[in-house]
Amino acid sequence: MSDVQKKKFVVTRFDPDKDEVPKTQEYTIPVRPDWKVLDALNYIKDEVDGTISHRWSCRMAVCGSCGMLVNGEPKLTCSTPLDEYGDEVHVAPLSNFPVIRDLVVDLEGFLDKFKSVKPWIVRAKEKAVEEGPCRQTPEELHAFKQFSMCINCMLCYAACPVVANVPEFLGPAAIALGHRYNLDSRDEGAAERNEVFRGEGTVYECSYANECSEVCPKNVDPAAAINQAKLLAVLDWMKSFVTPRRGGE
Amino acid sequence: MSRPVNPRAMAPARAGRTRTAAPSVPDRFWSAPRMRRYLLFDATGITYLLVGLSILRVVWALGSGPEAWQTVLRQFRSPAYLAFHALVLLSVVYVGVRFFGLFPKAQPPKIGPASPPPGPVLTAMLYAAWAGATLVLVLVLGGVLP
Ligand code: FES
Repeated sequence: MSDVQKKKFVVTRFDPDKDEVPKTQEYTIPVRPDWKVLDALNYIKDEVDGTISHRWSCRMAVCGSCGMLVNGEPKLTCSTPLDEYGDEVHVAPLSNFPVIRDLVVDLEGFLDKFKSVKPWIVRAKEKAVEEGPCRQTPEELHAFKQFSMCINCMLCYAACPVVANVPEFLGPAAIALGHRYNLDSRDEGAAERNEVFRGEGTVYECSYANECSEVCPKNVDPAAAINQAKLLAVLDWMKSFVTPRRGGE
Repeated sequence: MSRPVNPRAMAPARAGRTRTAAPSVPDRFWSAPRMRRYLLFDATGITYLLVGLSILRVVWALGSGPEAWQTVLRQFRSPAYLAFHALVLLSVVYVGVRFFGLFPKAQPPKIGPASPPPGPVLTAMLYAAWAGATLVLVLVLGGVLP
């Protein structure tokens, strides 16, 4: 067993009942070459220190719950190979979020933003069941499919310099999801969402840093969505001068 | 270890019952290569501010008579000024290349009934427009065009 490799993990800890501010704690543990970062955290939790708190579920980059900073970079820990790092690995909660405990961040702020963009299909009048399904061509599906692949892992919020400075900013994932529905041929809620996009936390806060797209583990490209939404929101505003809105607004 | 960001970043509309630690970013957040590229892009704004001020100075000299104008021309030929303009040229090229790279994906799949051209075509059009504008400028400055 002498050739078992060991790594030191510097993990950010925060206990809301005891700590004023987060601190770090070190754990040196044996690791296997095929491990992901999450495997090491689970080992620490199971074998060394059961008090450590972190989120995870699917272990296959689908649920989006295991996002953390690994050596300062936003990563899905379940899909980040441990052998990409040296003998010391720093694991911290995602940047730009309030921290509930250890590596667990508060997602309520995101959910508020998320709800505000109406991430569902809005129809002026629901189609009766007898009328059959709303059909889409492959091109119509292609228009928004990329933006529907978001798993709400929040890596994009952790990477975004605007999120850090402008609390009202809706942020990458919420805008990408709102834009996804605006591009959906079955949806009729674009005018309502565009009003949100132009309102508080406007899409125009985005300075196109492109950080969100660079860290996105699912290639959603939220920066593309935001900047497409900017143009469409302006066009929609201009259109509102010549076309009356639903409900006589 | 970490530095604070806006304390209201990603805060919920209604505070929860659990006390939370304030949002932060790693101390060395700027050390990621992608972040450095973005900060460099941001920093080019300083050169544009200085160019704007130097243009104001030129306008002021124009209104202050031939002597002031000659002084400005003399200063423009100084090595420091030439180095500054080389830096501005680099800034413009950097911002242009960055913008041309990001521009195509910012186009929605459809604008009204029309679809924008494919990304590589859009990029090629941008570079062609850039080359064309530069050529016209060179011809005007060289006295070939009026
Ligand atoms: S555990 Fe589900 S995405 Fe990582």
